[in-house]
Amino acid sequence: MSSITYLEAIRLAQQRALAEDPRVFIYGQDIGGFGGAFKATKNLAKEFPGRVLDSPISEDAMVGLAIGAAIEGMRPIVEMQFADFSTCGFNQIVNQAATLHYRTGTPCPLVLRLPSGGTPGSGPFHSQSMEAIYAHYPGLIVMTPATVEDAYTMLLEAVALDDPVIFCEHKFLYYHLKADKFPAEALPFGKARITLPGRDATVVAYGAMVHEAVAAAGELASDGYEIEVVDLRTVRPIDTDTILASVARTGRLLVVGEAWPWGGVAAEVITRVAAEGFGLLDAPPQRLNAKETPVPYHPALWGTHRPTASSVAHSLRQLLEL
Amino acid sequence: MFPSPDSKNLLPIIMPQLGESIAEATIVRAAFAVGDRVEADTDLLEVETNKAVMGVTAPCGGLLRELTATIGESYAVGSTLGYLEISDEDAERLGLHDAPPTPVEKPKRKKSSGNDHSGQAGKTVAPTVSGLPVPAHAGGASFLSPRMKARMAELGLHAADLAGVAGSGAGGRVTIDDLERFLQDLERNTISPASSMRVAVADAMRRSWTRPLATVVLPVQLDTLLAHRKRQAVKAGPALYALRALSFALSEMPTTAGRLIGDRVIHPRSIDIGFAVEAEDGVLVPVIRHADQFPLVDLVERYNRLVELARARRLPGSDTGGSIATITNYGVFGLTMATPIPLPEQSLLLGMGAGRITPAWDPEKKAFVPVTEAQFTLSFDHRVLDGGAAGRLLQRVAGLLGSPEEL
Repeated sequence: MSSITYLEAIRLAQQRALAEDPRVFIYGQDIGGFGGAFKATKNLAKEFPGRVLDSPISEDAMVGLAIGAAIEGMRPIVEMQFADFSTCGFNQIVNQAATLHYRTGTPCPLVLRLPSGGTPGSGPFHSQSMEAIYAHYPGLIVMTPATVEDAYTMLLEAVALDDPVIFCEHKFLYYHLKADKFPAEALPFGKARITLPGRDATVVAYGAMVHEAVAAAGELASDGYEIEVVDLRTVRPIDTDTILASVARTGRLLVVGEAWPWGGVAAEVITRVAAEGFGLLDAPPQRLNAKETPVPYHPALWGTHRPTASSVAHSLRQLLEL
Repeated sequence: MFPSPDSKNLLPIIMPQLGESIAEATIVRAAFAVGDRVEADTDLLEVETNKAVMGVTAPCGGLLRELTATIGESYAVGSTLGYLEISDEDAERLGLHDAPPTPVEKPKRKKSSGNDHSGQAGKTVAPTVSGLPVPAHAGGASFLSPRMKARMAELGLHAADLAGVAGSGAGGRVTIDDLERFLQDLERNTISPASSMRVAVADAMRRSWTRPLATVVLPVQLDTLLAHRKRQAVKAGPALYALRALSFALSEMPTTAGRLIGDRVIHPRSIDIGFAVEAEDGVLVPVIRHADQFPLVDLVERYNRLVELARARRLPGSDTGGSIATITNYGVFGLTMATPIPLPEQSLLLGMGAGRITPAWDPEKKAFVPVTEAQFTLSFDHRVLDGGAAGRLLQRVAGLLGSPEEL
């Protein structure tokens, strides 16, 4: 079998979910016959007639319908065409889906797939990373798979969970990441992965930034530094234990996120480490995020807007010299 | 149609802001005719926007003087549609005749970047502490990291223990790596445990040394004292003579044994004087309470007993601690001079060197004569007293030692 891309993993996971559970259906714009804007549902409408449905261009209606279906016992997967547009359905997500079980005792087993993150030329409305916004709300689960394997296993997990899951799949990784096969077992839900063991500093990242962090670690290895990279995998819940254990080993922390700094995932991780692991820190914890402007369209501007392997390496060097 | 020159209180009827994105509205209907009396909060006109039909409301009661707007025409938000003649009180209340506000000079704003947290430019605030330096890069300044502090607390280390560690961090900071490497390196030497006595003395001396300490020296002739001692049946040691002399001197100038805490001098409560006794690999300090109240002969037995107890490390808690000054006789080791360190809770330490026979000039005989002389040192907390006061205290002690029968 030729290697599987990150996108194909998502497609295969949805195929398996549809096959194994008759309550599952997929709802989104252009996902039926067209197979989805990114082809994440290619051929699934044909294979599962009546279960892969085109929606109107109304994220509010899409999520509302899905919540209603969930109340009736179904397990919908809603594909947002871009994470950025999910805010059109923000009220449904945070006020209805997130609170449903708290208010009524009825679970809301909804999966919201958000193609997230930037690619060259995608611009301000097709590039956002929304994890921090949704992770703010109790009642939601926020997943950020960074590998082909995680894209597959975590999407299946998301469908199986009875809570509403915001599944932030990274567009940049769709075709760039490949794997040979899927693992027989996956890490437990909510656990972070030590992608690269290290000794001198810890980088916590999620999504596409995990790969930038690994590349930065490679740059610093030639200078004799061993950088530990932690892949959060889920942003809500955050695996604070693994992060603290890593900082216990290294004493230095850099958190990298593609989103903006204010109130972001990086800020949350650092707050937890400062509050619960103060005595582990040998240097002030640092964060690296996108520049504080809307995501630029021009590729040259975009290239400097989000953290890259070299800017992560630069931040790491500064951290190591403190 | 212009308002009558007689009318003073003509309130313009203004097209209101009807919605966030509404710029204009069309007059649909006039609810009243010119000359009608209207009450406050009634709709004078009905206007239509692309969203809804709304009303233009009278802010107060009055006479509809004039309608300048035409039914069916559109008018911009903020434009005048007519005039309402209102009472003096209402005119006053609505500020009808107030002068228009002078345009405020808008502060020059740089191109908005969304990142501007600096607020308005211009107004400088005088700092309350002038010249307080602010580190340019607070994140990288030299510091003991939380991890360092936690590890040092775990191992019972102080900054004094790290004096020998070169820091590799920014600004010469000792990092946790530096510390761990240093400790690992120590393992290559022979290591023996320090006794609890050693650790206690180390801690006391470290704390004492955080103060500015100084020492003054005075040679004292001991011949009179030694002659007096020879005549006694029960002999007191030289340190006990010195202790009694010090007790008199301190009762005359008690603040020399005071403690400085902040901007307050804490006076001693009673003249309790300690004396240093070597015990095992440390020092204990038994105390003679109210040393100024007992003649020398009454103190000898107590003194000797305390020395025995201290040497055996069986000194009761009530016989140690709480003294206001200490005597140390380093002369027993043959030392002629020393700069010992006062106890951390005391400001004075009177030291006695070994007595030696030495030539002294006798002005009467006009010749050098042999005398027994010892260097007496007074080590003191320089925050509490200066050289002059220390010198005077030492001189008084020396003077009292010249009349040993008074002690």
